[in-house]
Amino acid sequence: MSTLEVKDLHVSIDGKNILKGVNLKMKTGEIHAIMGPNGTGKSTLSEAIMGHPAYKVTQGEVLLNGENILELPVDERARAGLFLAMQYPAEIPGVTNAEFIRGAINARLPEDKPLSVRDFLKRLDKTMNVLDMTEEMADRYLNEGFSGGEKKRNEILQLMMIKPKFAILDEIDSGLDIDALKVVSRGVNQMRGPEFGSLIITHYQRLLNYIVPDVVHVMMGGRIVKQGGPELAKRLEDEGYAGLRDELGLDIKLVDEEA
Amino acid sequence: MTVDLKKYPTIAAYAEKTAEPAWFTELRTKSLEKAVSLALPSFEKIRYQRWPIQLKQPLGEKNSQKNLIEKIDVEQTDNMVVQLGQETLELKISDEMREKGVIVCDWQTALQEHSDLVQKYFMQKAVKTDEDLLTAQHVAYLTSGLFIYVPKNVVLKKALTSYFVQDATVENDYVHHVILVVGENSEFSYLENLKTVGEQATTANIIVEVIAQENSHIKFASVDRLGAKTTAYLNRRGYLEKNAKIDWSMGMMNDGNIVGDFDSDLVGDGSHSEVKIVAISTGRQIQGIDTRVTNIGKHTIGHILQHGVILSRSSLVFNGIGHIIKGAKGSDAQQESRVLMLSNKAKGDANPILLIDDNDVTAGHAASIGRVNQEQLYYLMSRGLPKKIAERLVIIGFLGPVLAAIPSKLIREQLKTTIERKLIDGQKDE
Ligand SMILES: Nc1ncnc2c1ncn2[C@@H]1O[C@H](COP(=O)(O)OP(=O)(O)OP(=O)(O)O)[C@@H](O)[C@H]1O
Ligand SMILES: [Mg+2]
Repeated sequence: MSTLEVKDLHVSIDGKNILKGVNLKMKTGEIHAIMGPNGTGKSTLSEAIMGHPAYKVTQGEVLLNGENILELPVDERARAGLFLAMQYPAEIPGVTNAEFIRGAINARLPEDKPLSVRDFLKRLDKTMNVLDMTEEMADRYLNEGFSGGEKKRNEILQLMMIKPKFAILDEIDSGLDIDALKVVSRGVNQMRGPEFGSLIITHYQRLLNYIVPDVVHVMMGGRIVKQGGPELAKRLEDEGYAGLRDELGLDIKLVDEEA
Repeated sequence: MTVDLKKYPTIAAYAEKTAEPAWFTELRTKSLEKAVSLALPSFEKIRYQRWPIQLKQPLGEKNSQKNLIEKIDVEQTDNMVVQLGQETLELKISDEMREKGVIVCDWQTALQEHSDLVQKYFMQKAVKTDEDLLTAQHVAYLTSGLFIYVPKNVVLKKALTSYFVQDATVENDYVHHVILVVGENSEFSYLENLKTVGEQATTANIIVEVIAQENSHIKFASVDRLGAKTTAYLNRRGYLEKNAKIDWSMGMMNDGNIVGDFDSDLVGDGSHSEVKIVAISTGRQIQGIDTRVTNIGKHTIGHILQHGVILSRSSLVFNGIGHIIKGAKGSDAQQESRVLMLSNKAKGDANPILLIDDNDVTAGHAASIGRVNQEQLYYLMSRGLPKKIAERLVIIGFLGPVLAAIPSKLIREQLKTTIERKLIDGQKDE
């Protein structure tokens, strides 16, 4: 079992404070969901955990199995077991999807014992099948010209091939049609098990019908303001964020509110 | 006018020893006399004039130690030529090529056995002997090369591969000439590998003339890996007749200072040149690449695509010159030059030059100098790839559009491996 703990995390970008003390603790075997209004800092939290250079941690810690990872470069965090399915994955022309995924797997293996091409292709084939992806996607350049939905599927393909300990999925459901949503959920559910934990960021309760979370966190104004079970997501779906904010007596302006 | 050979005892001795035809020897002495009044060619933003680029050594036969070739990866193919220094170590062509009348022979053999053909094409159409100081010196000191003649109506699918290995174990100038003539309606693929053995400071002066006759199609690919201490002038020029096409793919993977002058003269109506160049500069080297396509005939097409990467304290200049002559109606000149910088101390330039003297044409250009895209790097690293590997992937991706456009898969793979190796070496001193 592994643990991931975010302690009093403060993050700023371009000198602007976005996260103002986030606390969160999870174990492998658990699925957590984060919901929250636009612009509240959900992606900031995931990027800061992963180590995007633009996001500056000004206070707090992120502990993987009790060890602070904030000093580690991005690639080392990844090899330590973190994975982030990004809200906006980059496109990399000239590098094929398959070549890239194999490189990512081999980066975790001893240099003299890489995964054989044959075994790799077998696994890739099987995994792409689960995700209803056509073979051709393996030879295409990484995310280049992929549709929004194809990119999301490709993030899950990488997740399933790399098998991290903890995966943060940032709006993996945005831009997916109903069938794709089921397919992607099937992929994530297949990963579920004692050695895998996931933090799922979403705006829609619907995803959580397919991937049922153990814990739901609500984030507002750069902090986690409430935690609960799956029913919390249902309540937000019905009432929106304003009700919860007022109930908690928070002084936060929501993006879509009239001034 | 005949030249008094007594004034040139070294040339006379060399001519006698190699039994080269009198017309050629005469061309040497004339060029030498002409050289005095000629200047070095100038290329925008490439300041190479103070390099040891001029040829100075007397003309002479030089032998190389044959076992030096063992240091070079030579891939055995059906049609291939291996030259080390001035000597030819291996030359074989398929029965098919021979039966179809294709001539492939080294420079001395060409002068002796195909003197008329050589005289007809040698610096007559593509490059001129008295163009500048470097072309004149080239003629005067030329000692090795290759002559390839493909008659008309010959379509060959299998390529001819040449390995020209400059011997820099001794301080010899390397003066080398290639003529490739492809006749009417013929198709030919040629792959050239330029390499260096040895580490002495040397000068190389290489001219490659490609004559594409009516309706012919030539695929010309090259992987250039001249050594760190070789200062080179490399001139490759195409002369295209009506409806002829040349696909150039060049990988500038040299380790030393080089001026590359790559030109296509679209003389015949409907002729077409596609120039694809990838370049990597490392260490403190300077690579200046001047690529020109001149549209002379009507409805001619000239496209230039060059992508380069600079590391450490190196420099890379890409000039892209699209010149449309008055009367070249319906012609098209397009170019794109991009340089990716991996180091603050590296210098890059992408310099588009469009010279358009006719109205009824289309032309366009794009040029940029940039850094490795941080979002791409981050994405790759977030999957566990170490920074240097991620960087190399992004770079290979950046060079991708040019690599992908190279017609031969073999060359693509070979270039990819060469690029990878060069980047690994280059990253060591980042
Ligand atoms: N690169 C940046 N430069 C400036 N501001 C930024 C940058 N990235 C994020 N921000 C700001 O930080 C705040 C939090 O953004 P973040 O992307 O974390 O929100 P989010 O909760 O993920 O929103 P959404 O639900 O819309 O994805 C926003 O106000 C955003 O404008
Ligand atoms: Mg977001």
